[in-house]
Amino acid sequence: MIEVVNVWKSYRSGTRWVEALRGINCRIERGRFAFIVGPSGSGKSTLLYLLGALDRPSNGEILVNGQNLVTMSEAMQNLYRREQVGFIFQSFNLISNLSALENVLVPSLPRGITADQRERAVELLKQVGLEDRLDHHPYQLSGGEQQRVAIARAVVKQPLLVLADEPTGELDSKTGDEIYKILRSMQATFQTTLVVVTHDRRFITPDDLVLEIQDGQVAHPNGAISAGSSSAHGPKAEGSAGFNGEGDSPGRGVSLKAGE
Amino acid sequence: MGVFAWRNLLTRPLRTVLALIGLSVPILGVMGLFSVSNGLRDLVGETLSQIEGVMVIRENVPSPVFSTLPVSLADDLRRLPGVRAVAPEVWGIAPNIEGRGMLVRGLMSKKGMGSVFDQPVISGQDIAAHMNLNSAVFPRALKEKGEGRFLTLEDIGKPNIVISRKIARDFPDRQGNPRKLGDGLRIADKNYTIVGIYETGSLLLDVVIVMDIETARSVLNFAKDSISSIYVEAKNPGEYDALSATIEKANPGVDARSMNEVKANFGSLMGQVDKLLMMTVSLALIVGIVGIINTMLMSTTERFVEFGVLRTNGWSEANILTLVTLESAFLGLLAGIVGCVLALIGTSVANQFISGGVHLGVNPSLLGMGISLSVVMGTLGGLYPAWRAARLVPMEAIRIGSH
Repeated sequence: MIEVVNVWKSYRSGTRWVEALRGINCRIERGRFAFIVGPSGSGKSTLLYLLGALDRPSNGEILVNGQNLVTMSEAMQNLYRREQVGFIFQSFNLISNLSALENVLVPSLPRGITADQRERAVELLKQVGLEDRLDHHPYQLSGGEQQRVAIARAVVKQPLLVLADEPTGELDSKTGDEIYKILRSMQATFQTTLVVVTHDRRFITPDDLVLEIQDGQVAHPNGAISAGSSSAHGPKAEGSAGFNGEGDSPGRGVSLKAGE
Repeated sequence: MGVFAWRNLLTRPLRTVLALIGLSVPILGVMGLFSVSNGLRDLVGETLSQIEGVMVIRENVPSPVFSTLPVSLADDLRRLPGVRAVAPEVWGIAPNIEGRGMLVRGLMSKKGMGSVFDQPVISGQDIAAHMNLNSAVFPRALKEKGEGRFLTLEDIGKPNIVISRKIARDFPDRQGNPRKLGDGLRIADKNYTIVGIYETGSLLLDVVIVMDIETARSVLNFAKDSISSIYVEAKNPGEYDALSATIEKANPGVDARSMNEVKANFGSLMGQVDKLLMMTVSLALIVGIVGIINTMLMSTTERFVEFGVLRTNGWSEANILTLVTLESAFLGLLAGIVGCVLALIGTSVANQFISGGVHLGVNPSLLGMGISLSVVMGTLGGLYPAWRAARLVPMEAIRIGSH
């Protein structure tokens, strides 16, 4: 389970400080498919990266499966990213001079690759339909194929959590559909929690969790914006950011804390 | 990770090649300078290995050519304990040979001014005393590789000389052929007959024209009661250093140089020369390191996203540091190999044109030093860019790199 408690994040942009997140609270149950939606610059990607321990919040707590990412040591964060989290990016971000297979094995490169790991990577690439592209380099693959390699790389470690930042942002709609099919299939197969940042609400289904972010805060379904809460156990907002503007149903797994 | 680092270098071939050139040129410079140093060591070492005894000359002069000693010193030395043989000598730079003086010989030589430094030198020997030596250099060289005969008692007072094969070549006859046994050689407008031709293989020794001591005094205008040096042999070959000390103690104002001492002094001198060379080439090496830093900084700045992605996949700061440092170390290794190959080719070509007996030497230890130095430079040059890349916050790396 992921629990985000009153998380603030500010960073410097040139000469000024930008508050990307302003008191975010949410909870995502294990094994759910969750979307973070909202306008550009609202803080979606910042929240996603914080969930992946790619940065630390300025304030607040993030608990993933009971582990506090904020107080975690640098070494533990590395371990967390290496073993428990998979990332998928909008620009695929494959390593250009590695083959598809080697890209999938990137997490294991520093410690050496075992035969089992290689076998598993090959199997995953087969599952995403790239069995005849194992030795191809990124420039020899289409965008959709590159993203499938990125998905295989994200799940090769059998992670607790997969974080995807606009995974179909650079793909046409047909390829985007295929990518989401694969993501949903992977999520069902591995029972992994999937958190996706997207602008494209076409891929959200009624069973998905939706967290709408606006101006660094969680927005209410009716458009109201929750203020940050200082308490991890504050009153729950019954509604959530619906995928199509409808109210969220209880039990969908996302809890929105009422702001102070 | 090593394969990955290697491939990263090959991914940007033009930049890698330019960086290689930037680093291999200083390495080539280092190799070139040290090959000269090695050449000098080999030349002197080869020469000294042929001489066993103690050379007694006046104190504070660099060589027998500039030394004068009283003739009576030879008798004093004979009386010292541990002395087996004493052989007085007169030394001097040959005056004009075949009508050519020293400067003219240098200017007219096809080898250019370099030949000024391998001018023929006259060694006038007390023949009787020298025949008593066990370790005389020139008779042995003549016997092993030369032709004709060495000087004997019948040559005393006669214009007979023994020359090296090099001198025979350097002063050919009118038809342009090297001088041979029985030919004459005009020294200071007087004709001398060549009775023997030797070859030591050392170009410091192969410049000597050997003749009787009285004949040499006449050619060099040397005073009757003076000699240049005395070659002393010890009864026990292991006691040369002790014998030198005894001679110097008994005769203030003279310098008794055992070959061990000469070797040690020369080694010390070359050590100082090497330090000077190292200081000189350090500047070039620093430029090389700056070049590597520049190249690696450009490379890492372009790859912020890649480092961010690697960090998202669990790579630690140390892993990134290792990756980038490995890349620059590989760059250093390549540059070292290129520099060494260029140095081997360069010295081979240069040796075809260099006269004066110096043979530029690139030995395996110098090659090893060149490559090691280059790897160290590459590694040092990569440390800062590697540290900078490793310190990036993954999120920032991806964000900065994406824009």
